[in-house]
Amino acid sequence: MNPTEDQIYVIIFSTLFLGGLMSTFVVAMVFIHRQRQAQNKQKLDQIKLEHEKTLLNIENEIQQETLTHIGRELHDNIGQLLSLAKLNFGSIKEHKREEGKEILNLVIKEVRGLSKQLNLDWVESISINEFIAQQLARIESTGFCQTTLHADVELDDLPKDQKLVLIRVIQESLNNAIKHASPEKIEIRIMENKREKQILITDNGKGFDSSQKSTGSGMFNLKKRMETVGGEFNLTSAVGKGTEIKLILPN
Amino acid sequence: MDNRLIEAFFTAYPLTSISLYLIMIIGTVCFFRLSKDERKNIHYWLPFLILSFTFCYENLGNYTNYNYEFKKSVNEYLGNFKYPKFNLWLYNVATRQIGTVLYLLLIKSWTKASKKKYINWMIIVFIVTVCLLQFSGVEPIYLSQPIIFALGANMILVAVAFYFIDLITDPFYLAKKPLKLVSFWLMTSILFSITLSYISSVTLMYLYEVNPILGQGLQQIQIVMKIISLGVLTLVIASPFLPRLFDKELSYESY
Repeated sequence: MNPTEDQIYVIIFSTLFLGGLMSTFVVAMVFIHRQRQAQNKQKLDQIKLEHEKTLLNIENEIQQETLTHIGRELHDNIGQLLSLAKLNFGSIKEHKREEGKEILNLVIKEVRGLSKQLNLDWVESISINEFIAQQLARIESTGFCQTTLHADVELDDLPKDQKLVLIRVIQESLNNAIKHASPEKIEIRIMENKREKQILITDNGKGFDSSQKSTGSGMFNLKKRMETVGGEFNLTSAVGKGTEIKLILPN
Repeated sequence: MDNRLIEAFFTAYPLTSISLYLIMIIGTVCFFRLSKDERKNIHYWLPFLILSFTFCYENLGNYTNYNYEFKKSVNEYLGNFKYPKFNLWLYNVATRQIGTVLYLLLIKSWTKASKKKYINWMIIVFIVTVCLLQFSGVEPIYLSQPIIFALGANMILVAVAFYFIDLITDPFYLAKKPLKLVSFWLMTSILFSITLSYISSVTLMYLYEVNPILGQGLQQIQIVMKIISLGVLTLVIASPFLPRLFDKELSYESY
């Protein structure tokens, strides 16, 4: 074999080698793609499962909260009204019996209202603005603190999962404010811009050092829940300066 | 019609000429049957531009072989008095320079925003280097330009690698079958065509001297790969009409 022939063989083998290398590269890419596709699918299934689990937990918690509220209503309101009605019916005076009838009608109305809350259908029919207004009215009726709602936009076309999460997060944020902050005023603002919807919950209560890591899982859960529907939960607070919670949902 | 004209445009290189005419006709028909919005999409107009550009310079190449005086005068204008029969100046500018930039732009249109900036830089570096090498006389326009070709080919290979990285990392691509993506076939054809052209152009002059048959064979491979690439470009343009063959692709224009 002379040097020229050698060089020709080198060229032929180089061509075959490069062709083979490129084929191997493309085939390897397809295989890696398939492997990653399977991993990605598994990950997506897991996220979906987690999302469903979170929603189920939220539904349970809302139901639990509703049951507690109904229990409280039965004891504090309906129980009292029924006792009063019983007293009035026991009276010999006609106008007292009439009053008893009116009280009974009021009880029937209250029970109907409560029964509607037993299943989660109300979540579908209520808008976030209405829900917030109800919650604030409830807080104000207890005389605990003053409340204000400023809504620049009506949040009535949200998907059910976003609505459920928002309802639960707002409920929990208000509960936390009442339990831990002892505020004189709670203010909620609803805003929207091109990119996102925002709900701002502020109180002028005790506040806390939000830069320190919380030992409880409450805030972490709220953050995580907002993230499951693609939103954000931002909290800022300082000792003596109240707390501000910003809930963000992308448009 | 003049026999020399027929020979230059049809029979001298029948494989290239006839295939190119067929591909150009199919590509043009498919492109003008696309909707107005699709025609404005870079994924369709850029392949069509490359196809039309190839058609133009290949025919100009054929014309230079027919009109020797024209070829000679251009060579003289460029300072080439030694090889008046060469039309390398045309292929250097069309394939190794403008062609490389067009292919880089094409690959860029299929990659994510994070990688687009690297391709932009590659294009700038390539253009500056080409100008420096050409105007400084290191690689005259009328002779073979191995450095420019090697630089362009390597940049295209790196850009194709960016696409493959997106293919195995991007959630959109991970939800699709790669074999049903027209972009996958386009990148694969570019990859093979560039790699095989690389070895062919490096060894061509040597092989023509010592083993012309093998040299011709290797050049045939290069021609076939070029035709396949142009065929795949036509397939890209025709892909909206082939929904059973190809999945709808993601447009990174909005990124």
